[in-house]
Amino acid sequence: MSPVEIDRQLRARWPAAGRESAGAQPGTIALSCPPPHLPEVCAWLFSEADCAFAGLVVEENTDTWELRHLFHGRAGPAQVQVVARQALPQKEFPSISARVHAADWQEREAEDMFGVVFAGHPRLGDFILHDDAWQEGVEPMRHRFDAQTPVEGRRPKPDWRPRRIVEAEGAFVMPVGPVYGGIAESVHFQLETVGEDVIRAFPRLFFKYRGVEKIAEGKPAHEALLLAERFAATTAFAHAVAFSTAVERIAGAEVPERARRLRVLLAELERLRHHVGVIAGICESTGLVVATSQAAILEEELLRLCGKLTGHRYLFGLASPGGLSRDLEDAACRDAVQAARDVVRRLNGLEDLLRYSSSYLDRLEDVGVIARSDALAHGLVGPIARASGQDCDLRRAQPYEAYDRFDFDIPVEHEGDGYARLRVFFAEARQALRLMEQAASGLPGGSVRSPCPPTAGATLSWIEAPRGAAYHWLRLDGDGRVVRYHIVPPSFINWHGFHLAVERFAFQDFPIILATLGLSVAENDR
Amino acid sequence: MAPPGTSFAVFFGLCGAGIVAIWLAPERMQARVLAWAGALAALALGWSGAAVLAGSGHSTWTLWSVPSLGPVTLAADPLSGLFLLVTALVYLPASIFLASALPRLAPRYRLRGFGGWYLALLGAIALVLLAADVFTFLVAWEVMSLLCYLLVVYDHETETHTQAGYLMLIMGEAGALATVLGLLLLAAHSQALDFAALRSAAPGAGAGLRWAVFLLTFFGFGVKAGLVPVNPWLPRAYTAAPPAFVPVLAGATLNLGLYGILRVNADLQPVVSAGPGLVALIVGTVTAILGILYATTENDLKTLLAQSSIENAGIITVGMGAGMVFGASDQPALAGVAYVAALYHLTNHALYKTLLFCGCGTVEGQTGTRNLDRLGGLIHGLPWTALGFLAGALAIAALPPFNGFVSEWLTLQSLLASAALAPTGVKVVFALCGAVLALTAALAVTCFVKAFAMGFLGISRSPEAAAAREAPRSAGFATALLAISCLLLGVLPTYVVPVLDRTIQPFSGSSAIAAIVPPFFAGTAHHADLPPAFVADFRALGAQVGQTVLPGPGLVLMHRGGAANPVVYAAAPFWLAVVLVLLLALTYLFVRLLVGRRRHVVRQPCWDGGLRRLLPEMTYTATGFSNSVRVIFDAVFRPTTVEDTRESVARHFRTAIRRDREEVYLIDRAVLFPLRNAALGLAGMLARIHRGRLNTYVTYVLLALLAGLLLSAWL
Amino acid sequence: MSPWLLKGLGTRVKTTRYPALPETTAGVSPGLPAGGPGAGELIARCPTQALEAVDGGIAVDHRRCIHCFRCVRETAAPLAWRDGFEWSGVAAGPASQPLGDEYERSIHILVMDAGDCGACLHEVRQLNNPYYNMHRLGFFITPTPRHADVLLVVGPGVDHLRFALEKTYQAMPTPKRVVAVGACALTGGVFAPSFVTGPGVAGVIPVDVEVPGHPPPPLAILHGLLVAVGRRPPVPLVSGPVAPETEVTA
Repeated sequence: MSPVEIDRQLRARWPAAGRESAGAQPGTIALSCPPPHLPEVCAWLFSEADCAFAGLVVEENTDTWELRHLFHGRAGPAQVQVVARQALPQKEFPSISARVHAADWQEREAEDMFGVVFAGHPRLGDFILHDDAWQEGVEPMRHRFDAQTPVEGRRPKPDWRPRRIVEAEGAFVMPVGPVYGGIAESVHFQLETVGEDVIRAFPRLFFKYRGVEKIAEGKPAHEALLLAERFAATTAFAHAVAFSTAVERIAGAEVPERARRLRVLLAELERLRHHVGVIAGICESTGLVVATSQAAILEEELLRLCGKLTGHRYLFGLASPGGLSRDLEDAACRDAVQAARDVVRRLNGLEDLLRYSSSYLDRLEDVGVIARSDALAHGLVGPIARASGQDCDLRRAQPYEAYDRFDFDIPVEHEGDGYARLRVFFAEARQALRLMEQAASGLPGGSVRSPCPPTAGATLSWIEAPRGAAYHWLRLDGDGRVVRYHIVPPSFINWHGFHLAVERFAFQDFPIILATLGLSVAENDR
Repeated sequence: MAPPGTSFAVFFGLCGAGIVAIWLAPERMQARVLAWAGALAALALGWSGAAVLAGSGHSTWTLWSVPSLGPVTLAADPLSGLFLLVTALVYLPASIFLASALPRLAPRYRLRGFGGWYLALLGAIALVLLAADVFTFLVAWEVMSLLCYLLVVYDHETETHTQAGYLMLIMGEAGALATVLGLLLLAAHSQALDFAALRSAAPGAGAGLRWAVFLLTFFGFGVKAGLVPVNPWLPRAYTAAPPAFVPVLAGATLNLGLYGILRVNADLQPVVSAGPGLVALIVGTVTAILGILYATTENDLKTLLAQSSIENAGIITVGMGAGMVFGASDQPALAGVAYVAALYHLTNHALYKTLLFCGCGTVEGQTGTRNLDRLGGLIHGLPWTALGFLAGALAIAALPPFNGFVSEWLTLQSLLASAALAPTGVKVVFALCGAVLALTAALAVTCFVKAFAMGFLGISRSPEAAAAREAPRSAGFATALLAISCLLLGVLPTYVVPVLDRTIQPFSGSSAIAAIVPPFFAGTAHHADLPPAFVADFRALGAQVGQTVLPGPGLVLMHRGGAANPVVYAAAPFWLAVVLVLLLALTYLFVRLLVGRRRHVVRQPCWDGGLRRLLPEMTYTATGFSNSVRVIFDAVFRPTTVEDTRESVARHFRTAIRRDREEVYLIDRAVLFPLRNAALGLAGMLARIHRGRLNTYVTYVLLALLAGLLLSAWL
Repeated sequence: MSPWLLKGLGTRVKTTRYPALPETTAGVSPGLPAGGPGAGELIARCPTQALEAVDGGIAVDHRRCIHCFRCVRETAAPLAWRDGFEWSGVAAGPASQPLGDEYERSIHILVMDAGDCGACLHEVRQLNNPYYNMHRLGFFITPTPRHADVLLVVGPGVDHLRFALEKTYQAMPTPKRVVAVGACALTGGVFAPSFVTGPGVAGVIPVDVEVPGHPPPPLAILHGLLVAVGRRPPVPLVSGPVAPETEVTA
């Protein structure tokens, strides 16, 4: 649906909802919605208007709550923000999760962080701040909470038990983690089972909660940039670019063309490296050692390439509000593209070998299936969603940087199993190379940084990170310090749908399914 | 030594005196009085049985005459002597165990009846084993069945218990009917009722009579023994029986079925063709595998042990079947080995099953539950019970140095010895049965690892299990007695084998000792035909080593497969035990010496992945442990699974996922329900003649009168 | 013949010759700022206070450096930059001894994630790839603390994982060493101080070897492990224009 059509329909159905200024984002429909109408408006946007749910931003103003539900067109350029306000003492808002299930975890997060209660949500609490470690009512994101000092006098729940929903004779909850496996991130899984297959899987996340959004408040933009870059460092460049874009949009700064193209080049290089790493992880989980080594060789070469080109293997310290913090020579860029081309050639060879390894494919085919309807209902993003038939990529739907000028395909598969996800990773790696080649050829001259003076304002920025769509909401004050910074990382959205893949499959498939999903706990936990 | 007659009289006298004492004793003393009475009676019985075994021949007593049926004859030969001894070995600890288990019945039921029937059952079992004519045998058998039934439904307030007892009664009577028919066929053939006459008339019987007698008695006695397809009553009845009685039920009465099969088909009318033996072999194997499959996937500890009894009965039947086939194929030495294996397994089963049921009874009494999914961690509260149960579990899983290992090894060896037989078909059957028996042994280990680990180890999964405390000392005493005898029978088999050999010599025709325990250990001159080179090789292997070190007949148990196939399979359980103990001791000393003062031992909770707290619901349940077996043998269990997800508020918010699994016992599906449906169908058809109208009944009377007149006119 | 076998053999040897020979391939390490003469205005540019003014110039505390490159980019007088990757030193305090001789060529390492961003863990994962192949040096990964000699911690030690970290450390048998990898594990990085993050892992468990970097490249982690087993001497964690008096030596 086009933005004009959406606007017209919204006015027709809910005339009571007024319009606000969208600040730094012209073209965005900002709807000022009375709280009781929230569920219907959001449900309509999600199901009828073909909009994807990006996130929920809660802001605490001096005397009001401001809830912002962010939507954008799945295929088209629409951007809608549904804003609901209420006086501060009234913390109850209606929940939209019953109709827009993608909002489930966002509402739980808001409740834990702010204490805002969502009426009709059946499962608030024990989400970010674990009930067996924290007492109720901490609400760290509120202004009155001091980010620097640890909380004294902790009163966790003494009789905390895992929530069980399986009713079967002899059912038990198999605990995995938080310390488990060889080199794995700390996350706790509660797998309910009667012995052979996983009946229900619940990931208990936020063991790695570092309070990034809280720490960022009050920091100048260039310091908050460090947090944005380093909270999920395996996709550091993507998040740093998203943050920088938000600052630039607020300041109204125009990024030079050279910087745009270089940003595309580096983002696709990061995507290529990330996907090769996921492929290595999938081969390792199935025990195919030679393939793991081959993929690991390619990944190390890409890491060294990044280090040689930019000075850091994970592209730290490059993206900056206004462009890039340093320039890259044209020759170096062409050499980098040539090296990447060689890597992708060998990657294609690896894919051919894997395609004919039946024992390997046996572990991936029809394993960890996510149905298309489930992916849609949970709002999954990224290669995982595209493997389940969801044709949604922010580079095409909401173009940013220079993507609208480049030629590339969005690979989509339909089975939704592990093999489909593997094929998507391989195909996207090839497309990343294609974009790199286009970005590196014909680099215009000029500077790579425009000035970005501190300005007050708020905006949403987005990026198609290697793991999927990432959204950053930023509000700055007049000194250019952060007032509110909210990140909706792709891993947060996708962990919500993790159980869809793992349930009904045997225990031995669990690590393989986990590897094919390629999720990051650090990115989710912030 | 008093002649056996006197000791039997003493035994029966003690039984009677015990019954009187129970009736006269005050209520709070009744359990203890019964324990003493039972123990004394068991001792007397054991003494009598041992005297019979130690003596050389048969003793016969002819008592009063029953009109038109002949005199009541009792006879004691080594076979009955062995069974008497085994019964006594079961009754003694079971009676001691009664002292702690019986009072739990007290508030709701009176103990006098239990005590009276209990001792009367002992007498009835002895009568069955001593009976030497058909009439006495059947009367004693019926009395024994009836007393069993009365004791099984003693806790009659629960409906499932009475139903289980009823099924037991019906099937028991059906089995008794079959055995009556079989024995009467034999009696008709020999024109007399006493066993001696039946024995002497046996060689003249035709093939048809032989098969009829075999099938009737095999499946008739098989009901009591718990063989497929006549055993659906067994798991139900064992589960329903009060914990005070179950040890005797499993340890003493199950043997009677096997005694009956052996008595008729190896003694009274020995089988002369390989067919019946093969039937026994196949039935035994199927019984064993089905029994252990259901045991492995069962969560109720008592039912698990009952299914395991079915498995053991199957193994004993396999041994007997192999013995019958070898006997019919002119291989007396191998027949002897097979029969020794079967009887050894029978003895062992009696001991370790009683031990396990005593442990189970204690657990049930102290925690109030038998469900393995709700137990766990009992080793902290009931350490001695756990130790006893562990000994029983190791024994039943056929692990050295316990007794199960010896008998299972002998059974499998006798199956392997089928290489000496000629017909290929027979060899194939033996090979298949051997393979299935090996699978059974592996599943038995799984089953008892599950029973012990889920019941006693880990974290307690329910508050009752966490609060359990140790049982009274009498239970511990009984358990210790049984555990030690299991160990002894496992470590000193060469003292047991000659006793069993003497028992089976009459019907295998040759001494098995010659094949099992070599002459240079047994100290007998059985083996003049051993090639000297063989003996020299053997001595060179150093197998004689123990002879001068320890007194008594040899320490190595061997099996030699005949002159044509002089292969030696040796197992030395005694040496095994010695080496085991030495290894443990040496390792301990080695570690102490090597590591010495640098040793730094820290006691810590189990590593759980860094959890804040490991909760009981996070540990494996018994269902989870055995689920892989359930899934692999899905075709046997054929469960119906219904999975249902409940969502509240909206889609994707799940509140419950319910998975119900229903399975019907295979024998019920295959045998009981078709029979029941047929019977109901037939009854339904017959019920149609009841119209409820007077005219119809008058017509029937008229028709009957006409038929009677016509018949008498014709005759 | 299996195509995998041929493919593997055809790829030949890729492993680095470190520690026998130095490794200088481009891209193996981002390098670290080196202490030296420098203007005072650089000190304010460092977001984690890694730069300190001393006599003769600027001293760099490697434990705090987060590779933001602000001391070398967009400034008229950039700080000197040092390539290489041998950065690991021994923690301040009672100097811990390397594990005994029997551990020199065979240790088992338990890797624990105490809240890390993913980069340090990713670099640790590269240690198993054909380029670095830590197995040839006798370093093995074990999933259980009961078999571990060395605990390799990444991440700042966040609140929710504090208990798990302590429990893991307690579950390891003696002798044991802790190698803290990355600026977050050493000083909390950009995340400390906060209500959930303390100033590094040393606040929770005792640390023996410290590997600076953000993230330290695989070769630096390898160097840290070699220091832990005593095959390489530790390196001062602060570099200055003059030989620092406050360095910690083995």
